[in-house]
Amino acid sequence: MSSHIYCDGLHRRDFLRIGGLAGVGLSLAQYLQIAEAGQVGPSKAKAAIFVRLSGGPSHLDTFDMKPDAPASHRGEFREIATNAPGVRFCEHLPKLAKCADKFAVLRGVSHTLADHRLGTKYLTTGNRPLPSLEYPGFGAVVSRELSGPADLPTFVAVPGGEETTGYMGVEYGPLNTGQTPKPGRKMEIRGLSINGGITLADLDRRQNLLKKFDRAFDSLGNQDKLLVGLDRFTQRAFAMIRSPKVRTAFDLSQESSAITGMFGEESFPQSCLLAARLVETGVRFVTVSFTGWDTHDDNFTKLKMQQLPPLDAGLSGLFRALDAKGLLETTTVFVTGEFGRTPKVNARGGRDHYPRAMFCLMAGGGIRGGQVIGSSDKLGLGPEHTPITPDDVAATFYHTLGIDITKEYRTPSGRPVMIVRNGKAIEELVG
Amino acid sequence: MSIKWVLFVVCATSFLRSVASAGDVVSPLPGRFTKADASETPDFRRHVLPTMGRMGCNSRACHGSFQGQGGFHLSLFGYDFKSDYDALTAGQHPRIDLAHPENSLILNKPTSADNHGGGLRFPEGSWQYNVFRRWIETGAKGVSPGDAEFVRLTIAPAEVKFDHVGATAKLRIVASWSDGATEDVTAISRFRSNDDSVATIDEDGVITSRGPGDSHVVAFYDNGVQPIPVMLPMSDRVGSRYPDVAAPTLYDRLVIDKLRKLGVVPASTSTDAEFLRRVSLDLTGTLPGPKDIESFLADKSPDKRARKIDQLLETPAYAAWWTTKLCDLTGNNPQQQSDQIYKREQSRQWYEWIYRRVLENKAYDEIIAGLLLANGRDKPDQSYLDYCREMGSYFRQSKPADFTARKTMPYYLSRTNVRKPEEKALSVSYAMLGVRLECAQCHKHPFDQWTQKDFTQFQAFFQPVDVGVKPPSGPEAKQLREEVGIDKLGGKNRKQVIATIHERLEKNQPVPFTELYVNNRQIPPFQRQRMEQMLKNNPKFAAQLQKKGKAGTPPTVTPKLLGAEEVPLADAPDPRVKLMEWLRRKDNPYFARAWVNRTWAAYFGVGIVEPPDDMSQANPPSNRPLLDALAEGFVAHHYDMKWLHRTILNTAAYQRSWRTNASNQLDNHNFSHALVRRLPAEVVNDVLMQATANRQQAEAMQTSMENRAIGPALDKGDRYLLVAFGKPDRVVTCDCSRSNEPSLVQTVFLLNDAALRGRIDAGGWMQQVRQQIQPGKGRPVSPAASDALIREVFLRTVSRPPQEDEMKEAKNVVATAAGPVDGIRTLLWTMLNTKEFIVNH
Repeated sequence: MSSHIYCDGLHRRDFLRIGGLAGVGLSLAQYLQIAEAGQVGPSKAKAAIFVRLSGGPSHLDTFDMKPDAPASHRGEFREIATNAPGVRFCEHLPKLAKCADKFAVLRGVSHTLADHRLGTKYLTTGNRPLPSLEYPGFGAVVSRELSGPADLPTFVAVPGGEETTGYMGVEYGPLNTGQTPKPGRKMEIRGLSINGGITLADLDRRQNLLKKFDRAFDSLGNQDKLLVGLDRFTQRAFAMIRSPKVRTAFDLSQESSAITGMFGEESFPQSCLLAARLVETGVRFVTVSFTGWDTHDDNFTKLKMQQLPPLDAGLSGLFRALDAKGLLETTTVFVTGEFGRTPKVNARGGRDHYPRAMFCLMAGGGIRGGQVIGSSDKLGLGPEHTPITPDDVAATFYHTLGIDITKEYRTPSGRPVMIVRNGKAIEELVG
Repeated sequence: MSIKWVLFVVCATSFLRSVASAGDVVSPLPGRFTKADASETPDFRRHVLPTMGRMGCNSRACHGSFQGQGGFHLSLFGYDFKSDYDALTAGQHPRIDLAHPENSLILNKPTSADNHGGGLRFPEGSWQYNVFRRWIETGAKGVSPGDAEFVRLTIAPAEVKFDHVGATAKLRIVASWSDGATEDVTAISRFRSNDDSVATIDEDGVITSRGPGDSHVVAFYDNGVQPIPVMLPMSDRVGSRYPDVAAPTLYDRLVIDKLRKLGVVPASTSTDAEFLRRVSLDLTGTLPGPKDIESFLADKSPDKRARKIDQLLETPAYAAWWTTKLCDLTGNNPQQQSDQIYKREQSRQWYEWIYRRVLENKAYDEIIAGLLLANGRDKPDQSYLDYCREMGSYFRQSKPADFTARKTMPYYLSRTNVRKPEEKALSVSYAMLGVRLECAQCHKHPFDQWTQKDFTQFQAFFQPVDVGVKPPSGPEAKQLREEVGIDKLGGKNRKQVIATIHERLEKNQPVPFTELYVNNRQIPPFQRQRMEQMLKNNPKFAAQLQKKGKAGTPPTVTPKLLGAEEVPLADAPDPRVKLMEWLRRKDNPYFARAWVNRTWAAYFGVGIVEPPDDMSQANPPSNRPLLDALAEGFVAHHYDMKWLHRTILNTAAYQRSWRTNASNQLDNHNFSHALVRRLPAEVVNDVLMQATANRQQAEAMQTSMENRAIGPALDKGDRYLLVAFGKPDRVVTCDCSRSNEPSLVQTVFLLNDAALRGRIDAGGWMQQVRQQIQPGKGRPVSPAASDALIREVFLRTVSRPPQEDEMKEAKNVVATAAGPVDGIRTLLWTMLNTKEFIVNH
């Protein structure tokens, strides 16, 4: 294992602002275009589940196969038909193939950041990273835009996430579960359980008391981001600890067997089950991380043995369970890596980072399932036609949640920044 | 023809070969090529490539992408002249047409928006068009070995000071070459602002003031990266209007010099209680005990702060906390240790080796030398078997030998995640130089001077270093391995093999160990000369050499110090020795600065270079004279770390309050007030224990490190807490791997974690409280005893006595609680959940 993060040698400030190519903000005309693009019906989703396939999953071996490509590219897996006409996936995704009508596949999603950290920043914010500005991740924006019930965390990350809260500050960060759930078990989130003789009345008393004694920095007002964040966390924490809903949501033993039967026993499918329960309870945003996709060597064995079976079980379970609970219409599910992988198989039987062509999945929240949007070329080297940008995908995602991407936030230094600077919702998905 | 025009033509045509006399700056390129019939011959490196760079052709989003774009690939940021030249002129689809220059793709693509993925870059007949066309017409020459080298950029103005938002200034960039030529390259340079909220810069080098504060804009041309300070004062209290501010030390004077320019008035001095808590946490990772606080507050002598600093420097907690930081920096992680059985022990030994030296205040450079120059066998003429006996003696159960007595500490370089020479190079440059070399592994560093060739030559210092068995001890080692049966360690006989090993260790019999060693074999000079010739002719070769540079083989290229000279291998059987000599050299720009800056950053929450591990040309220090002075002092004091701590902690700057005023509230990098910082993970763990432990245990925690998360034991501390509060995993080479951000989970933990509540409700101290109050006997608690306990709660948590109103409120809590014990308990919980407790301020 290499001792540094950036395998392509990228620097955190690796972006020069170059003449005419500098990232321009949207013009008024572009604003209007987006507004009009509202073929764009009203949004339907109230919550979102963001599945992060961390490491960058291969597009060619999953949802964008090239069976006619030469052996050097197409890899070892075969294609199978799905229940959506004309849509075909990898043979190791049989359960997803049976519910392909529930989600849309985006192919030919394309960008240029072949580095994990930067690619992740791009795909989790919808904004190409800049040296001078840290954009907030989806979870932070949704936490701010869609306030949920006060006694629930707005944003939960299972087991934790790579998304940053960026210029929004730490108060919009997630509750990390720190672990993944086990089948049929109650998940202990340290600090959330009430026991040891503490009563709700005690909690009330203590909260009042804390207000009286926690006043050392009152003179700073809202100046210090850290202190403001700590205050926000304290308020939320009290509400959550009191809430019976939270304890129920984290207790997988309370789920019906009809639902649990849709999921596998591995940690990723169980995390998906937890995500469905959290959304059902009222949590607005759940990030589920699934690592292990950085298959520089032995790509096919790793995919076949470790990665694809839990992915298949987890995502198919998630789509079906949300549907069964009547939540699919009001919950957007967005699945993405940070990039695709090189179409040509390398000497170690692996595939390397490849941002020019990748895939994403979207479901629920008014997204029309059973369709493929966009396409990559014959060898999966790049988009066949107009590329879909991460900005567009993000714009679509926010659109389903009714979040206006042209809304401007102010950074701590007072700079106005739009939620997504260059994106446009993809009509075919939401129209 | 006017005289001006004549002069211009003479100057331009003679450009390539002439040695321009001093001050004779060649005028900007656009002016020289406005007309299609310009007779000058543009130079590939000086004009053609920079023009492409300026237009974004070789950016990551376009042809600089690793995959190229539209079948045309340029090197990222345009520094691989040969490959870029080949991409333009050779191959199946050359981008130029010598016979019919006007048909060249590099003219037709950028001028025709329709067929160019990158759209219209310049119109036909523009100066860019004329430069490219003229270059092709004159034979499209590339670079040759004898060409002049780039020397430096000179920028005017050297510093920009604005007086109102919206004001502008234009930069002029002049490049100097080794043949004496100088040219105005403003039009073909690239620019960036380090903080858009302070100033923006456009593509022509025009800076616009956007808001108060200070930052840098950076100009890029060829290998030149030049930052220019820009500022707009934060208040009108500048220059003569600046108030008289005490600056008791040299370093304070340098801080104030900057603040005066910015119109920032620093905060007043912190209170004694604030100072004591701050310095104890920063220097020792430990809270001051209640007795210490009382006696410090009672002390009326003017030098009590200086004496407190001296006193804390002599504590084991100082050594433990700064050893923890050095372990972060050097990557002491049990999973990455080299031994198959004793990983955890190795990790502890690593800690202890550093700890002893920090405690004894060994010089920083000596400690680093012990890591960088380590060998498994660090005694002269030690045999392999004796080495194995020695190593075994550190791991045996009964009376293990003292590992810290070893001259060198080999685990830093024997870690499994730095086996490759390139990984060692990255780790050493990060930890010891504060320089990130990752970029240069694959392409020219976009924000510093480093090229791929520099990286390859730097990595060569570590190429002969390997972990294994040093030849010719191989056969001996093999025999020993068989004798012990160690190769079966991975199989089902694991337990048995381990038992055998333990048994042999107790009897002082050798068991096989791998060793860190240097292969001193030399490759024939002619072979290396050939490699170097190839490296010179084809920069692509650098990447191949990096991959081929297998650990434990003699360097294929001559090692070269970063930004300094080559080290001929004939003089250096172990090239690391020369590297260490360079680190210690007076003119080394990184070694002392990196440590001084990291230490400063630990005390102020922000480095003079920020982030502290990014010392690069495009990320200059916020206060260069300050960094230079500290580094100079550190070297002059023979890398005495205690001198450095003492010096920084005794500044007025460190001892300032967090209470801001109108002029300094927006400042966060000029040290005008204290920044509130969340406590680091290990410290959170330890201070929670301190606050809840009984009085004797709490005192013992200040002197014994065995039960501390900042101590040597790997299993001390609540793992859940440590992860939640951002303890670094010590795998990546980045100061950012430690997170001091707060989170909801942390708050939930502090409010209601069952284990923590158990310690608050029934921990050592609460038991003492219970005994003291003795509620069972029905005797009412005396108000004095109750007040003393309230006071102790405050001292234990926020390290200060309660204020009057707080005391009143606290008495009320105790009076209205189910009982006095319950009241004190509730108060303890409350204070542990204040912001004041969880931050350093």
